[in-house]
Amino acid sequence: MSKTIMIVDDSATLRQVVSIALKGAGYDVLEAGDGRQALALLDGRKISLIISDVNMPNMDGLTFVSEAKKLAAYRFTPIIMLTTEAGADKKAQGQAAGAKAWVVKPFQPQQMLAAVAKLVMP
Amino acid sequence: MTAKVARHAIEGELTIYTAAALRQQLLEWLAEAERLEIDLSRVSEADTAGIQLLVAAKHEAGRRNRELLLTGHARPVVDLMDLFDLGSFFGDQMVIVSRTL
Amino acid sequence: MSMEDALLTFVSESRELLEQMEDALLHFSADPEQINSIFRAAHTIKGSAGLFGLDDVVAFTHVAESVLDRVRSGELEVGNEMITLLLASGDHIGRLVSLVESGSQADDDLKADGQMLVDQLKAYLSGSVAAVKATVPVEQEVVLEKASTGDALTDNWHISIRFNEDVLRNGMDPAAFLLYLSGMGEIISVAALTDRVPALADMDPETCYLGFEINFASTASKADIDATFDFIREGSRISIIPPRSQIDAYISIINSLPEEDLKLGEILVRCGTLTESELKSALTEQLDTESVQPIGEMLVEHNQVHAPVVEAALARQKQVKDNKAAQASSIRVDSARLDHLISLVGELIIVGSSASLIASRIGESDLLEVTSNMSRMVEEVRDSAMSLRMVQIGATFNRFQRVVHDVSQELGKDIRLEIHGGETELDKTVVEKITDPLTHLVRNAMDHGIEPADVRLARGKPAQGCLRLNAWHDSGSIMLEVADDGGGLNTARIRAKAVERGLISADAELSDHDIHQLIFEAGFSTADAVSNLSGRGVGMDVVRSNITALRGSVELLSQPGEGTTVRVRLPLTLAIIDGFQVGVGQERYVIPLEMVEECIEFNRNQSRIDESGFIDLRGEVLPFVRLRQLFEQEGQGPARQNIVVLNFAGKRAGVVVDSLHGELQTVIRPLGKMFRSLPGISGFTILGTGNVALVMDVASLVDMMSRRDQQVAGGAVVVI
Repeated sequence: MSKTIMIVDDSATLRQVVSIALKGAGYDVLEAGDGRQALALLDGRKISLIISDVNMPNMDGLTFVSEAKKLAAYRFTPIIMLTTEAGADKKAQGQAAGAKAWVVKPFQPQQMLAAVAKLVMP
Repeated sequence: MTAKVARHAIEGELTIYTAAALRQQLLEWLAEAERLEIDLSRVSEADTAGIQLLVAAKHEAGRRNRELLLTGHARPVVDLMDLFDLGSFFGDQMVIVSRTL
Repeated sequence: MSMEDALLTFVSESRELLEQMEDALLHFSADPEQINSIFRAAHTIKGSAGLFGLDDVVAFTHVAESVLDRVRSGELEVGNEMITLLLASGDHIGRLVSLVESGSQADDDLKADGQMLVDQLKAYLSGSVAAVKATVPVEQEVVLEKASTGDALTDNWHISIRFNEDVLRNGMDPAAFLLYLSGMGEIISVAALTDRVPALADMDPETCYLGFEINFASTASKADIDATFDFIREGSRISIIPPRSQIDAYISIINSLPEEDLKLGEILVRCGTLTESELKSALTEQLDTESVQPIGEMLVEHNQVHAPVVEAALARQKQVKDNKAAQASSIRVDSARLDHLISLVGELIIVGSSASLIASRIGESDLLEVTSNMSRMVEEVRDSAMSLRMVQIGATFNRFQRVVHDVSQELGKDIRLEIHGGETELDKTVVEKITDPLTHLVRNAMDHGIEPADVRLARGKPAQGCLRLNAWHDSGSIMLEVADDGGGLNTARIRAKAVERGLISADAELSDHDIHQLIFEAGFSTADAVSNLSGRGVGMDVVRSNITALRGSVELLSQPGEGTTVRVRLPLTLAIIDGFQVGVGQERYVIPLEMVEECIEFNRNQSRIDESGFIDLRGEVLPFVRLRQLFEQEGQGPARQNIVVLNFAGKRAGVVVDSLHGELQTVIRPLGKMFRSLPGISGFTILGTGNVALVMDVASLVDMMSRRDQQVAGGAVVVI
């Protein structure tokens, strides 16, 4: 059974590319366009990794992550936050919210796959 | 009076999500008998927290002068023990199949 | 789904974001969420471009993003100059995206433009760059300079890890890191250190107590191996010792780690990293060097950064506006698929009307009931399918913010744009076709309509001119208005010009309103009437013909001193209409139902009427035309005929037909090229019987007759 990874980003392009890369690597992918949508998808299903942007409309990534971490089923779900080089303060906030892994935008799909491989066993 | 042998099984996840509950379970099982056999054949998923828990159980058994025997290791358990090279630590019979990860 | 598809998504998404960015820039306010949305647009484009390795886009967007980041943090203030620069930057990104779409390379001009913009943007950055990145901790390298015991013999790396206690809770699994490592080389051996795992009763099963010593054969660089541990570096102790390092390096591990020295040394031997003798000499050496070599100097160790403010995150959440909620629940559909759906619905309507026709021929009551239910359902399907293609005019209107901004600067006039009725919906295909005519009308109003500031002040008006775009629905049509508060049209000048061009005779009696409409006549607008601003030499006659091609009409209202309003009436949709079927001989015609006002019986024997072309409709003069004559059909027609009274944009006209056949849903199909210029016909449709019916172009018909009305003014009116 393939593992499921959730990608949360307001850019459809980014979701598509990451999704293509992840599916190519044998993962199942769930997509959400913002924190609110993503939270609605967290219905207890098994998710091996969440990749989330920080700056999104409706519900930003930090709020989403701290909300997700409150749900028993996702207490220990690893989270990769997508960030900018300039986002040092965001990073600290993200740490507090429970996101310990960061990938700097812009990234290439292979870089994302490498980051995912460090967190999800195949 | 403790029984000679207690046999139990861990089913489903042997992961961080179940570790707290399993720890309680293991403490109880270890108190039951001189020799505890745990069937791992129905473990669906394992992670480092799960393996670490088994390590703690093994230590605990040694400390209490009990014997802990793990049997029927399911694939996810074998894979991890193999990766961490913990086979000899547990000293159980384990079918090592080349990893297909 | 392929990368090519993703690239298309990138192109369309980037355009959308650039539009949003432009819109936000043109409405610039200091609202943090608005600034953030501008930043986000640039940020998202950069991020997406990076996915495809589009370095040009990334590099340029990065500079713009940096400026926006400063704006967001309040370090930079936004003035008109910066807005203009950011608008130009947005345009440049748009051009780069277009290159991506067409798969071509930037030419030198574009590169020069880009460089110029980058220089201007960087000027904003140079002031305040310094302090930004100082907070990022500098990574320590394992540096060992002290020469001593010589090199170890091993050809392998040695990696020593004591995990941060929280790694498991953070969702990181050491096993995943080991597996990742094994992807870069071969893990020769692993020693799991289990000593620190507490008694079962005392342990926290979610805490990581394990450590690993790893003997690793790999040709990867130290940086690559090091990168494996990026996510768990904080709070963990990780040492990576390259092959053939000095024994000191191993000593330092032995020193710095919590396990007993001897035991750890044995592990190193067990791992195959050190030989027995190497260990022995290391342990001896250690005694001598202990004081020199401070523990931890070469260990990469980061203290966990404590969160400054969780409240900050919560506060931000509140700031986020809900106005994008609607966007969240919508999906993106390829418009070609929508068009396909609509054309299928069109087919369904035709088949449905065939079924109804057959049912009524058979006269079986159950069948009739079913077909009438089906017709109703089909009608609903049609309406909801059409509504899918309905979009708000607001997005199109908003695009004019940019036009108004740019043209204002060009003309040196201060003009603001007001938008009303942006939520009014109309068919996407209509929107696409109306943008050009609207642009022309907007430019025209700014150029010719609105006076220069000094003239305005002299006339007692505010110096800032105002251009309004209005939209609203009116009985099956959408009305669009471009209104300015300028000086209004010079009626006398237009009249003189029209006479000069031979459009009217010098003694024609025309109302001011009628004279104003003359500027839509072909041959009226010439180069000197249309400023070089439009640059295309497109006159108002082209605007009108564009609009009538959409089955619409255009009218001009002007008040001297108060301004000019151009009012455009368009059908809501182009493809499917409710029609009214009429017959002449064997031919069938369809008239858009919304334009049919009433039907009156018409007696052919009142032959006097035939000559005049006008009847008295309850005291009002109604021009009419016989379809039989208009389309040169043979035959006489029955004694009892009908006049269908049409109403278009407030003007009425009658059409004489042989027979009336009631309402039907009509899918309008375009005429072939050869017939496209036929007056009075806008398309054809296929009836349930399989026959073809022509769809009447009421706009041009009414127009034609009302003009005849003017020319023959004073002709006999016949009372019936």
